[in-house]
Amino acid sequence: MVDLSVKIGSLTLKNPVLTASGTFGYGREYDPYLDISQLGGIVTKTVTLEPRQGNPMPRIAETPAGMLNSIGLSNVGVEKYLNEKLPLLADVDTNVIANVAGNTIDEYAEIVSRLQHHPRIDAIEINVSCPNVEKGGLAFGTDASVTAAVVKGVRNQTGKPVIVKLTPNVTDIGVIARAAEDSGADAVSCINTVQGMGVNIHTRQPLLARIIGGLSGPAIKPIALAKVYQAAQAVRIPVIGLGGIMGWADAVEFLIAGATAVQTGTLNFIEPAGPVQLIQGLESYCITHNISRIADIIGSLEKRPVK
Amino acid sequence: MQTSDCKITAQDAITESVFRIRLSAPGISKLCSPGQFVHMRVSTGLDPLLRRPFSIHRAHESAGEIELLYRVVGSGTATLRDLKPGDVVNLMGPLGNGFDLEKPVDHAVVVAGGMGGAPVFYLIDALLKRNKRVTLLWGTRDGREIFDEADFEARGVALKIATEDASKGHNGLVTDLLKTFLAQHAGSAGLGGYVCGPEPMIRAVQDIVRSTDFLWQASLEEQMACGVGVCLGCAVKLKTGEIQMVCKDGPVFDIREIAFNG
Repeated sequence: MVDLSVKIGSLTLKNPVLTASGTFGYGREYDPYLDISQLGGIVTKTVTLEPRQGNPMPRIAETPAGMLNSIGLSNVGVEKYLNEKLPLLADVDTNVIANVAGNTIDEYAEIVSRLQHHPRIDAIEINVSCPNVEKGGLAFGTDASVTAAVVKGVRNQTGKPVIVKLTPNVTDIGVIARAAEDSGADAVSCINTVQGMGVNIHTRQPLLARIIGGLSGPAIKPIALAKVYQAAQAVRIPVIGLGGIMGWADAVEFLIAGATAVQTGTLNFIEPAGPVQLIQGLESYCITHNISRIADIIGSLEKRPVK
Repeated sequence: MQTSDCKITAQDAITESVFRIRLSAPGISKLCSPGQFVHMRVSTGLDPLLRRPFSIHRAHESAGEIELLYRVVGSGTATLRDLKPGDVVNLMGPLGNGFDLEKPVDHAVVVAGGMGGAPVFYLIDALLKRNKRVTLLWGTRDGREIFDEADFEARGVALKIATEDASKGHNGLVTDLLKTFLAQHAGSAGLGGYVCGPEPMIRAVQDIVRSTDFLWQASLEEQMACGVGVCLGCAVKLKTGEIQMVCKDGPVFDIREIAFNG
């Protein structure tokens, strides 16, 4: 029997597999394909104070081994999220992590104050890394002092675990991760999408209406691994790794590089049952390698001998 | 619902770039209805990465098979073209909401354009089964993409063809045929409209049918990632201002409710 459980602050995950925000709706959409109670947790679609329609079409495009998106945080708004979406998760035996974003530093605190009493929310993930919005998002997450201010504001509102989702579009992710840690974050998750773009050479139009979007999928996995490694070296709080994870072996790489847990994103679109298969794969890997607790491999990267 | 590996049982070329593929998909063939789609993973590799949506061209419940009609436009469809009978692809589906066939329509006018016309074969099969009178207005750029004309006519479908290369029927657009049809049937009762085609055609039809007083159902095409309403990539704006997803709320919409470009 392998112990797959890991801890993110005060939160215990029964296994290290979470579904990433924006790729799993509000939690129940994939019910026909998998039992979400088997997951370590789900991170719901970013919620903002007011409903958002999102960006103009086209919002998605495929690139080699990757996907560009510019959805623009389309969501139902906090009111509907509380009244209509969270109740659907009442009887689900998994952790629910609410992902939040604001247009201003104060809005982040305000939305968390609205959510934080809800018994179904087990943790908060702060989105300071969306590349597809005018305000907040990436603009905040590339600045250590603004990231710190957002995290402090949220920290003052809630005793629930606070996870800060970081962007890879920075010079040194360790600086931003430390700013989050020093401001009271319980964990960081990295990475959000990598800024990307594509052009239709026949029409000379950009593939996305907003020109630049965020790249996800296996194309960004090596970038994500490097950022997770750097973040894990920079902070003592847990790092949650994501970016192009398509199977259990990818997840193991992230754990070894320093991630305490992982999130699947683009995978969910392609194989809705993928996250659950990934958990089974992690268990098999542990059995094969005589690992009794998966937590033992976190950050277990070995040095290569000097030749 | 599960994703399922489905074996290709046949694949034929209609032209050098348009193909009709037949798949063993017993579960889908039983559950599906006209206008719904399947979401296909053409290979287990990482490129092409995403699933591709294909509207169901025909369903054969007793044989447990479905047919799809597609044009090779990118790496996914190129991969699909190169697959042979016996090869396997993975399907999710049936997905989306198909056409409402229960509306009290006596005479169905079906407008099909290009590859968007793929689902009208299945739609017409279902309409004929319900003893509806069917007129099919079918337009393509390349006349070789018009096929099975004799079969439609043998089954009593009034078929009108428009081709832009002047190789078959009227030399022009399917919307020309629609204008003529509406002029001939002005004031007729019991009509119902069904529209499948590319967005410019659907926009044009929306404009033409404004003065008619019956329902027009249009099937929209859009790029999709998830196919189930999660990624929010295939948004369509309605005239009410509401945003809906082509994959989950559609792909069939009341043509009058669609707000093209706001």
